[in-house]
Amino acid sequence: MPRNGKLVRITTGVLAVAAVTALAVVMTGTASAKSSATTLTGAGSSLVAPAVSGVWGPAYSSAKGVNVNYSSIGSGKGIIAITNRTVDFGASDAPLNKAQAAACKGCVQVPWALAGTGPVENIPGVNGLQLKLTGAVLAKIYLGQITNWDDPAIKALNKGLNLPNKTITVVHRSDGSGDTYVFTDYLSKISKTWATKVGKATTVSWPTGVGGNGNAGVSALVRSTPGSIGYVSTFYVVQNHLHMVKMLNRAGHYVYPSVKSIESAAQALKKVPSSTAGISITDPAKTQKFANAWVMATFTYIIVPANSAKGADLRSFINWALAPAQQQSIQKLIFAPLPKLVANAAKQRVKQIQ
Amino acid sequence: MSTYDATGDTARRPLSGRRVHTGDLILKGVAGAAALGAVVLVGLIAYKVIEGSRLSISTFGLGFLTSTTWDPVHNQFGAADLIYGTIVTSIGALILATPLALGVALFLTELAPGWIRGPVTALVETLAAIPSVVIGLWGVLVLGPVLRDDVMPQLHSALGFIPIFGPSTTGSTIFTAIVVLTIMILPIISSISRELFTGVPSELKEAALGLGVTRWEMVRGVIFPYARGGVAAAMILGLGRALGEAIAVALVIGSVNGPIHANFFGPANTLAAWIATEFGTAAGLEQSSLFYCALILLVFSLLVNVLAQFIVRHVAKKQGLPAR
Repeated sequence: MPRNGKLVRITTGVLAVAAVTALAVVMTGTASAKSSATTLTGAGSSLVAPAVSGVWGPAYSSAKGVNVNYSSIGSGKGIIAITNRTVDFGASDAPLNKAQAAACKGCVQVPWALAGTGPVENIPGVNGLQLKLTGAVLAKIYLGQITNWDDPAIKALNKGLNLPNKTITVVHRSDGSGDTYVFTDYLSKISKTWATKVGKATTVSWPTGVGGNGNAGVSALVRSTPGSIGYVSTFYVVQNHLHMVKMLNRAGHYVYPSVKSIESAAQALKKVPSSTAGISITDPAKTQKFANAWVMATFTYIIVPANSAKGADLRSFINWALAPAQQQSIQKLIFAPLPKLVANAAKQRVKQIQ
Repeated sequence: MSTYDATGDTARRPLSGRRVHTGDLILKGVAGAAALGAVVLVGLIAYKVIEGSRLSISTFGLGFLTSTTWDPVHNQFGAADLIYGTIVTSIGALILATPLALGVALFLTELAPGWIRGPVTALVETLAAIPSVVIGLWGVLVLGPVLRDDVMPQLHSALGFIPIFGPSTTGSTIFTAIVVLTIMILPIISSISRELFTGVPSELKEAALGLGVTRWEMVRGVIFPYARGGVAAAMILGLGRALGEAIAVALVIGSVNGPIHANFFGPANTLAAWIATEFGTAAGLEQSSLFYCALILLVFSLLVNVLAQFIVRHVAKKQGLPAR
């Protein structure tokens, strides 16, 4: 029958196309396997993603001929990926905790970028940088203990500011994020109640408030909700001209997040642990010299196995990223350069990579 | 739904007394493989979801279904509030969407002048084609603030004695999610209903009108009974869509886990929305708990599908019509 003949022809055609495609896939597979010696794959933190895949990756590729493929899958997933050795390096905003460090079997954790997060508000009649808060009051707001903008505790910090009688709408991230880690790390240091009841993590069980998805979701909620307060990455605050809140630091100054104040928070560090432990710089210590240090700054880390076939490649990539030129190149994304002390400690850690 | 019957019939019965053609064999092979592939795929997905949730099931057991805590810091997880949010938003959307959809379908089949039908039908169906993330963004930026300022306060002051009409602070609420889901499932129910109403034999309608009944009595006495089973199935289809919608709901519901509250004007969360939101960064026991949520959602979908099949068969039998 002619119809059957046609069917056979079509089927043969389809099979031929499939075979060619399969062959092509196999060949490209082999090709990419051959060139993989000069490719570093990484995954993790979305905070550091614009720096790694937007700035450093292309620059490193053209300077050294080594490709860096970075997937922004979130800090938690990045830690899992490097623990399972499915990538050459992981990246996380939250340092490895004890269990994670043990599971990662001799992973080296190197601080390689410095960023921050900051609170933003939308109070009718209040402009950006007008509202001043202390960590204790911020913790009480996020615990649901202070619920109105005309609360005496807030008024006492903002004499002369006309604060309305309006319910506070607390906004937080609904997805797991490095911003949440920094924010809750800060509140845990300030408030005992926060530390025991909520704790610090990339996702926590929030006592109150409403969640927004990503920096974009939080800022959309804050902007559309009069009487709200939220927190977003400093990059996002500056880009979107949100109303920043000034926070009291330990030096007794009301400060706001900027490249300068984030850098100061890291410079206020007196020493860096030589082990591979994380370095928290939220709520920085009181210093004369760096009196304007921001309270919610954070290092973000690259995590690599102490022993790997690409050890040498990883070493040179990290050392390249730690160099002043590369640290300067990401300032437009509101990353502050690593202070010398930290950069040197980071280079010491890089030496552990074999 | 009808995949099983189709393959079973063609695959089992040999074409007796006829020469076997190569083409037939290939067709049989290709079609059979496709059908088998679909079945295997569902099986594999179910297996993977169950395997992924094993850690959480062994840790929390059925307590997962009654706890409302989601605390990665202290490794405590529960989904009671998520289940509640899923059911409330889906049923709420179904209750709002069904009368609207039936109205649209009736208008388009019985009432609208001919020149209006084409464009309106096309527009209503376009509603179904809008990506859910777009509807979600519109929900956050436009619908949410409007509902918060101009709808919820009025409902609260008029009907505030009913707990579901509580006070509102943001536009991200259960109610916003219900309205967004209503918009998303309306075209599904209305276009199926429209097909069903068009399929009502005109002799029946004319006979009814000939008896001197009004148009509304004709709709109530002829069209609705005739299309009842199909409309029920369309509603179930809409319900299935609402249960599983993740992105649009995640954007507008406020993503708050915690104690179940009756206030529709407050934030909450649903299973699908929370999986979509949290899966990116969850690890270990939390990831397993998200798989557990997925398993619950899978069971919901299965129940909904079985219910739809049952309704269609049951009604068809009662009316003496072949099951569709």
